[in-house]
Amino acid sequence: MTHPLDPIGEAGLRFYSKVSASISHEIRNSLAVINESAGYLEDVTRMAKKGGNVDMNRLETLAGSMLKQVQRANTIVKNMNRLAHSLDDPAARTDLNTLLELMLHLSERTTVTRGVKVSAAFSEPPVIITTHPFFVENLIWLILDFAMDISGDEKTIELQPVKTASGAKINFAGLDQLTQNAFENFQTEPVTLMLCALKSTLQPDEKKGMITLNLPENISQPAQ
Amino acid sequence: MTDKVLIVDDEQDFLNIISDRLTARDMNVTTAASAKDALEQIDKESYDAVVLDLMMPEMDGLETLKIMKEKNPDLQVILLTGHATVEKGIEAMKLGAMDLLEKPADLSTIVERIKHAKAEKIILVEKKSEERIRDILTRKGW
Repeated sequence: MTHPLDPIGEAGLRFYSKVSASISHEIRNSLAVINESAGYLEDVTRMAKKGGNVDMNRLETLAGSMLKQVQRANTIVKNMNRLAHSLDDPAARTDLNTLLELMLHLSERTTVTRGVKVSAAFSEPPVIITTHPFFVENLIWLILDFAMDISGDEKTIELQPVKTASGAKINFAGLDQLTQNAFENFQTEPVTLMLCALKSTLQPDEKKGMITLNLPENISQPAQ
Repeated sequence: MTDKVLIVDDEQDFLNIISDRLTARDMNVTTAASAKDALEQIDKESYDAVVLDLMMPEMDGLETLKIMKEKNPDLQVILLTGHATVEKGIEAMKLGAMDLLEKPADLSTIVERIKHAKAEKIILVEKKSEERIRDILTRKGW
């Protein structure tokens, strides 16, 4: 007997596991550099014990490299922690600037691997709404995945959070190959359910090569 | 004779340190920070072993491995990765990788696999020479 899967739950797990895999890869890269640096120190110590010269400049560079990797790993873990806590409150006051910054970090390995440059034009004041942060993150992840396929020859996507009268919107620009047909195919069951759960809408603009995600001011209040 | 090895990884710090450590162990090390650089290197030079990162920007390790093997089927490639899955490992072996190591790996293990790769390469070269000699002897009828 097979059990039907909850599409939104499955999409959430897929997103979380993809990010976890990417993060573990990044941490392993940092650990590999730290591991080799420690090994280099062992090599140098062994040589010095035998009376060999120690290159102090090289040691200084090595210490800098190790510190850089520890900071990098720490940032990765902090981001992972922020993502994990975005499930704590289904209606949290959220700054979309901060949320997008997190998403740029979390998706960096994936976007770089696919040869796409993703950047964000942040608004000066925070763009704050009350929403379900995890669903927004998951939706951004799915839109980015779709956007990377239709980013054309430029392979550049720009995200922009903007405050609106009814809440906020996030523009995904640079989608040169956006067509109505592609947009309709993107609207799978999990995407539609997430939009519904967030009381939000997605608006394509073929001429501008842009998709806009419209989010309400407060997810807890009834839709107007 | 020193072992000639090409290390391919997009982590520049990793390349710098591992290159220094392998050089200190009498190896002749070349590094490449991208798949494109690595493919250019194997066109120019012959290596006893290539240590290749599985996950790289623009072209991943498996795709790079495939092209390397098409260019030189005898090339001994060791995949070194922080992103190993059983599926990727099987795919890499099917594509002709000699081995797959997980990051962070002990340098002694990497050195041992490079030595093993070199020995494999020598066996392949000797086998090919033998076949060539046998072919000449058969054709000339001596």
